Amino acid sequence: MPFPNVRLSNRPLHFIYLCDCSGSMAAQGKMQALNQAIRQSLPGMAEVARENPEARVLVRAVRFADQAAWHLAEATPVQQLQWRDLEAGGITAMGDALNLVADALQSPPMEERALPPVLVLISDGQPTDDFDAGLANLMRRPWAQKAVRLAIAMGHDADLEVLQQFIGPEPSAHGKSPRRPLQASNATTLAQYIQWASTAVVGAASMPASRVTAADAGGPNSPANIPLPDLPPTLLDPSDDVGPLVW
Amino acid sequence: MNWLLPEGASLPFAGLEQPLRIEQGLGGGSQGQVFAVQLGGERLALKWYFPACIGRDPQLRERLQQSIRLGAPNRDFLWPLALLDPIPGSLGRFPAAAGGFGYLMGLRPDAFVGAHRHAGGDLAISLQCVLKACFHLAEAFHQLHLKGLCYKDVSLGNLFLDPSSGGILICDNDNVDVDGQSSGSVLGTPGFMAPEVLLGQAKPSARSDLFSLAVLLFRLLTRHDPFRGQRELAIRCLDEPARRRLYGDEALFIFDPNDPRNRPDPIEHSAALITWPIYPAGLQRLFEQSFGPGLRQSEQRTLTGQWKQAISLCLDQRQLCSHCGQETFPAADAPGACWSCGTPLPEPLRLRLPHGLVSAAAGNELQPHHFDPLVGEAIREPLARLVAHPSDPALLGLQNLSTSRWRGRTTSGQSIELDPGKTCNLSALQQIDSSAGAILVLRP
Ligand SMILES: Nc1ncnc2c1ncn2[C@@H]1O[C@H](COP(=O)(O)OP(=O)(O)OP(=O)(O)O)[C@@H](O)[C@H]1O
Ligand SMILES: [Zn+2]
Repeated sequence: MPFPNVRLSNRPLHFIYLCDCSGSMAAQGKMQALNQAIRQSLPGMAEVARENPEARVLVRAVRFADQAAWHLAEATPVQQLQWRDLEAGGITAMGDALNLVADALQSPPMEERALPPVLVLISDGQPTDDFDAGLANLMRRPWAQKAVRLAIAMGHDADLEVLQQFIGPEPSAHGKSPRRPLQASNATTLAQYIQWASTAVVGAASMPASRVTAADAGGPNSPANIPLPDLPPTLLDPSDDVGPLVW
Repeated sequence: MNWLLPEGASLPFAGLEQPLRIEQGLGGGSQGQVFAVQLGGERLALKWYFPACIGRDPQLRERLQQSIRLGAPNRDFLWPLALLDPIPGSLGRFPAAAGGFGYLMGLRPDAFVGAHRHAGGDLAISLQCVLKACFHLAEAFHQLHLKGLCYKDVSLGNLFLDPSSGGILICDNDNVDVDGQSSGSVLGTPGFMAPEVLLGQAKPSARSDLFSLAVLLFRLLTRHDPFRGQRELAIRCLDEPARRRLYGDEALFIFDPNDPRNRPDPIEHSAALITWPIYPAGLQRLFEQSFGPGLRQSEQRTLTGQWKQAISLCLDQRQLCSHCGQETFPAADAPGACWSCGTPLPEPLRLRLPHGLVSAAAGNELQPHHFDPLVGEAIREPLARLVAHPSDPALLGLQNLSTSRWRGRTTSGQSIELDPGKTCNLSALQQIDSSAGAILVLRP
């Protein structure tokens, strides 16, 4: 006879992409690269979701250009997700995008109990609207404060300062850190960061992984809300050193 | 995936007489990547570390060498077999791999699936096989601890199960260390870590392994978590600080006999309420011990030998409900009712052995320890198995799994012979003299 058909109760994990779709994203294949990177990352993300009995991974996406709008409005189980291509054109209403996410993170519609949400902001430029007001609005929501907030800077024109403000205080130690904007200077690196955010970070936010004592890695006494996993070893890719391939 | 080593290539390594063929990448984690490889016709797995991981864990190499020297505690571990270093220059085209090293281990067969699948309710497995897996787990840690070693990172993520047999494989053995030496940097996995380790008051040890083992056993047996009850419901965002309270400062066993404040919620935690009553009191008590007094006093935790004994007793008591067919585990002195359908469980036919009593239910097995108290509980090589007749499942027989001929007699005094592999009908049987000792049929 089979083991009774029961399982550990799980909690929703909201994963929200905030994607810059301004006109500059049309240049040098950046928009296509982002669409590809997200699409390619989905099977891995679904696999992580399947391996984490404690989480129900739900994905949404906001696009922002002249205004912000939900590109994927419904919180969709990653296993069922089909990525529709984003299209570029317009300016950079990033503050507006933060307002949209702020609305989504209040309860309701947020469930009463959940895992920390994961917010991934991807941009190649400067906000053209009131970013500060949008961020302040977002950060008034307790779920936004609890969220793992990551930012990916595409190309060299992204406003790193703004992205850092979205993430939170800059870490004191030098060097690459997930608590700094991740700089994707080519399509390969972008894909690796997206894959990392949608697998390793989702894993860390939904089911605790092994802990090590290294102070910065988020040992058990680190103040971090969720200890972030190591960044992907992108440096492995020798093509990283030869400068931009796509843009 | 960006593989550190080229799939399809044959590469030489220091310490290997022949080149190693990299068949394919199997996966990668935070520490490195794992490949299926071939060495002289034998298929193995190779774990190759990221240089950053080696840098963070300076004793990794020594620990692996020590484990390789000491050998595997038993065959349930995917134990390091050999350390591999690149031959200078040979990995020139793979700079990312050149700074690292790796080790060879057995390749996990496809039949073994991650234990998280079971916890997530996504695996068809019998209660008997879950109990067998639990027994193997206790036995594996028993052997590991007897060698003076500790594992440090017991969790669902490092365990694989064969749902058809209850066999297990324990992977990620690279944190294993001599108990008390504790050189590495791993602390364990939240949710499984002993409170004193989670709260930073102690390093992982064989004692903290015992706590993590109890958590893992509980999660396998109940598909629930020992500390998620009312206190979890009060947590809105289940993040790191919340987990530290739930599993550390404020940890309280959901079935604590003296403190009901963290009982499971009938809706959110229904798994625990359904599965916990399946198990006999003797087994439940061991959890109450480990998660009660054992929570703060590590010397109070249930020992591997106690788990082995309680789980093997539970397997001996396995009885199929005559109404719904479910597996039940009533103690001989507390028959009770079926946990699944509520039908009262009649006294079963039992086999009396020199050192044990086994209920007659298809699938139950007679083990060497039922005959010889000196061998210690083991379930890998049963001497006999209860089997249903292939065309009439109501007919129960005893199959001789030994290599010698047994003799017995029926209730009417007729003598019979039972050759290896043969099965005799229990309904007319009085006694069998097996090669290990007498088997007496007790009728209710
Ligand atoms: N002996 C083996 N046989 C087959 N597959 C294996 C073996 N060892 C590991 N794997 C697989 O390889 C992948 C990576 O292994 P592993 O999880 O050990 O890496 P890791 O870097 O230690 O990851 P983690 O961050 O979870 O500790 C996993 O999918 C695992 O199932
Ligand atoms: Zn029943």
